[in-house]
Amino acid sequence: MSQTRRDFIKMAAALSAASYVSMQLPISSLNIARADEGVNWHRGSCRLCGVGCRVELGVKDGIPMGLRGVPESRTNFGYVCMKGMHFWKCMRHPDRLTTPLYRAKKSDKFQEISWDKALDLAAEKFAEAHKAGGGAAVAYYGSGQALTEETYFFQKIMRGGLQSNNVEGNPRLCMASAVGGYLSSFGADEPIGGYSDIEKAHCFFIIGSNTAEAHPVIFRRIMRRKLDNPETVKVINVDPRLSQTSRIADLHLQFKPGTDLSLLNAMAQVIIEEKLYDEEFIKNYATFKKGKEEPATFADLQTQLAGYTPEEVAKTCGGSFKPDDIRKAARWFATSKGTVSLWCMGLNQRKQGVWANNLVHNLHILTGQLMKDGADSLSLTGQPNACGGVREGGGLCHILPGHRPVEKEAMRRQVEAAWGVPAGRIPEQPGLHTMAMFSAVNEGKVKALWINCTSPVQSLPNCNLYNQGMDREDVFIVCSDIFPTLTTQKANLVLPASFHFEKTGVYGCTERRSQLTKKAINSPGEAKPEVWMIREWAKKLAEKLGDPVIAQCIKPFEGLEEGYALPKAIWDEYTQKLTAGRDNDLRGATYEVLEKMADGVQWPAPTTEFALTGGTVKKFVKGRDPMATTESKNDLPYQFYGPAHADRLLWIWLHDQASPEEVPDGEYPFYLSTGRIIDHWHTMSMTGRVPELLRANPYSFVEVNPKDAERLGIKPGDMVEIKSRRGVNIMPAKVYAGPVEGMVFAYWHDQHGDRMINKVTKDAVDPGSKEPEFKICAVQVKRLSGPTALTPYLV
Amino acid sequence: MPISGVVIRSQPRERKEAVCYLAALAGVEVYGSDAEGNIVAVLETATSEDMQELIDRLNKDTRIASVGLTYLNTEDEAQPVAEGEVTPRPLGFRGDCK
Repeated sequence: MSQTRRDFIKMAAALSAASYVSMQLPISSLNIARADEGVNWHRGSCRLCGVGCRVELGVKDGIPMGLRGVPESRTNFGYVCMKGMHFWKCMRHPDRLTTPLYRAKKSDKFQEISWDKALDLAAEKFAEAHKAGGGAAVAYYGSGQALTEETYFFQKIMRGGLQSNNVEGNPRLCMASAVGGYLSSFGADEPIGGYSDIEKAHCFFIIGSNTAEAHPVIFRRIMRRKLDNPETVKVINVDPRLSQTSRIADLHLQFKPGTDLSLLNAMAQVIIEEKLYDEEFIKNYATFKKGKEEPATFADLQTQLAGYTPEEVAKTCGGSFKPDDIRKAARWFATSKGTVSLWCMGLNQRKQGVWANNLVHNLHILTGQLMKDGADSLSLTGQPNACGGVREGGGLCHILPGHRPVEKEAMRRQVEAAWGVPAGRIPEQPGLHTMAMFSAVNEGKVKALWINCTSPVQSLPNCNLYNQGMDREDVFIVCSDIFPTLTTQKANLVLPASFHFEKTGVYGCTERRSQLTKKAINSPGEAKPEVWMIREWAKKLAEKLGDPVIAQCIKPFEGLEEGYALPKAIWDEYTQKLTAGRDNDLRGATYEVLEKMADGVQWPAPTTEFALTGGTVKKFVKGRDPMATTESKNDLPYQFYGPAHADRLLWIWLHDQASPEEVPDGEYPFYLSTGRIIDHWHTMSMTGRVPELLRANPYSFVEVNPKDAERLGIKPGDMVEIKSRRGVNIMPAKVYAGPVEGMVFAYWHDQHGDRMINKVTKDAVDPGSKEPEFKICAVQVKRLSGPTALTPYLV
Repeated sequence: MPISGVVIRSQPRERKEAVCYLAALAGVEVYGSDAEGNIVAVLETATSEDMQELIDRLNKDTRIASVGLTYLNTEDEAQPVAEGEVTPRPLGFRGDCK
């Protein structure tokens, strides 16, 4: 790079940064043009979390070389975190899978094979399993990182072609309780508002979320709102662990793990006791429930909450805060001009995950902190397309595309008609949820399993148990991915997939926002987009099973070029035929519209004209949400609609405190919780391969409260054993006043067998959402030795 | 040699102090600041690892609330990696998992 070019790039960098804060610099914008010589910037979404930041990938001579944020985007206003700034370095990484690999036995070495042979084998094994055991013997396990087109197409072949609802995805492990919470409280999945509420909020209630590390760009917006308004904006952080998020909190309520249901009920008790609720809002829009078919009243709620006084609950929560702190939190929440709650896995990954979600929603319904600007009950998602692809596109065993429950016959008929397959083709019962699916793999009931873009070997709770099934020689496993993972090590067939910006498709982020990323560069080697794999596999499957209905499923997509035309045709079918009239109506969000928008479209967006305005910022508000207007039943300003509540009301739930599945006892005296660290993401197969990110945090460690450390004789850096009834980890200790006394905290990214914390976690599930309780289990903690030199590990 | 564009956020009352601190750091060029505490700067380092270290260092400074990345150009580093001439460094740790 010549000196002159470096100067241009530096000035372009300065102008880029200045534009985000409307700062005028005495630099000509011609410098940007000079810096951009030979560089093409391709717009798309970030790949590494659920925020949905918009970025532009710089490509020079076909090689990705830089990244910049998109200032016009309402998700990130141009800002990008370190993970986001570096994710593109996976694109040309030498570890990329570039050729299909096969082995007949899992003990064999992989051999390179052709795509034709690979897909023939995949079709043969799925056909064989189907002939022997029908739809129950085959399964698809996908990902909240797959594009919507991919998830939709996979589930179409599974349900319409192979007559199997065994369609699942890793969002079951992270978002299912949020889905259950939204459906049972609001009657419809996904948030009412979105990020635009942050700049208008006066109170943030952050519970069970380390936003600062897991969603740094959203945290930046919250922090900016707080720093700009230090006296009038309050931040309440509710978490058993002090985290980076806590540093901007006005009030941190550190509770004993699992007691937050009591805490949320205590806040509701204060709100009622001090008459801080919105009587008019409740009268117009809410009802009370003890059970789905068991109505209740305001008086019933009042009676139930009488046992949750701040005095009692402060004790239940472990005594680390005062009763008046609960009162203060309740008052700030109820009386602010707008309160936004944000949560993530701390609430969802729980045996009472749906209930915990309900109790946060209760606070919003009671106080009317919904639908108005600056108020929302906002569940943050961890993956870029958990919402768009899996929740909306039919990627879970009980949900068909367009938020349609499988068990409703009319819903199945609509989908079958849209696909042109015979009525009755889709089985009437939901398939196996994730933990049941991998239990069935353990039992050898599932004989052919396709795992796409995820690594359950590492990410399932109590993973030692479920890894046994994946080792079985009578279970044929296909893995499509971009890098080797612990799960590709269990596969018979590994298919090299195209990465982000190497293919075209849509991601739908936390706030109902769908955004397109177009292909910008070619895939390395023979890597292919999944939509191509699915079509070619299904073609062979139709031949091997002699089933014209499978052929019908791919007929609209025959012959289309896979870089753009194929995903576009799939998106068109999904949006035009299957979201029409549904609450996630995306008919207006065509590829043409999405290509014009800097930051995509928020549904519902039934027409292109409306989609071109950006879509629906606030659901259920007449005049702002076109469906609220068309569904309107009265003169009130809000109209609820959606698949779950026939009464079109918000439901306030009466739920009592319930303990986690496993609590500490004499034998296993500590709580264990797990979470993320800022530089890494999920199973580290991507971030572990970016040197800058790996070096910052090369391996996992366990956080131990200093008081516990003193009792156990643990010093910083000592090697510590963490043992549960299921498994053991050995990792270095970080002695740190983060976790509450009696609790240890570990990161879950590390692939090394000694430090893979899901060997230790528990696989109890929420009875409603079937989401596992990753966040709480009981462990022993023991010092093993002084500090030991460790090296990072990736397969 | 990567180049980043960043918006550094400081408390408005500490902005001048933060600017002085930044101006004295190698690899940091301050281009401007405003009354809200925003500081626009360009970071230039020898390697991407050095860039990460510099950003970590800034983030940990008490005068700085956050470092917001808006632009990253690594064309010097990207091309040899893409062409297989250089392997990203932390790949020497492969081994059998226990």
